[in-house]
Amino acid sequence: MSQPAAKLSVSVPGELADAVRKRVGARGLSGFVARALAHELEREGVGSLLAELEEELGTPSKADMTRARKAWPKR
Amino acid sequence: MAEALILDSEAVNALANPAARSSQTRRAAAILRLAYDKRALVRVPAPVLAEVCRGVRYDSAINHLLNNPGICVAELTRLAAQRAGHMLAKHRLSSAYAVDAFVVATALQFDTAVIATGDPKDIERLAAPFSTIGILAL
Repeated sequence: MSQPAAKLSVSVPGELADAVRKRVGARGLSGFVARALAHELEREGVGSLLAELEEELGTPSKADMTRARKAWPKR
Repeated sequence: MAEALILDSEAVNALANPAARSSQTRRAAAILRLAYDKRALVRVPAPVLAEVCRGVRYDSAINHLLNNPGICVAELTRLAAQRAGHMLAKHRLSSAYAVDAFVVATALQFDTAVIATGDPKDIERLAAPFSTIGILAL
């Protein structure tokens, strides 16, 4: 069951607001913003995990980063 | 849909227990760094939890990892489960490989995905037909 929605009032640059409305329309705005907020929260979580790991193990080596890049499929 | 990094059981254990698995953790951290830079999502297929959770006394490191808002459990959907079953049938594999098939089916829910795995042989076999999936052996 989905949780009840909360109303947020936010200010964004006018150009950005226009671009988003053009892209998703007024009715799709809430869903678009909710997905964007969720994605940013997730990304911050990954960032904090990386900070913990890199404090313990150091930054990833060039060799490990190269392997990782090779594994990632092209879009 | 977006790009994603999919973690199998070895990847989850490597990230949850960095001191115990440092070489695997380094490789897992590198793909996690790349996922972060690409703004990709990070997902743990729900069936993987059956392989890594071994009781309240042992699960604290796993729970700590999964409580991170960036490491999300991908619930098993009907579509993914059926796709997994079809993969097993195609490759004539028993249900002993079901979790591997669920991992690949989860990766198929995204435009492109990398599976970080300690068991590349079986995952590679299942994912071979899909150009949208990459494999990183830990």
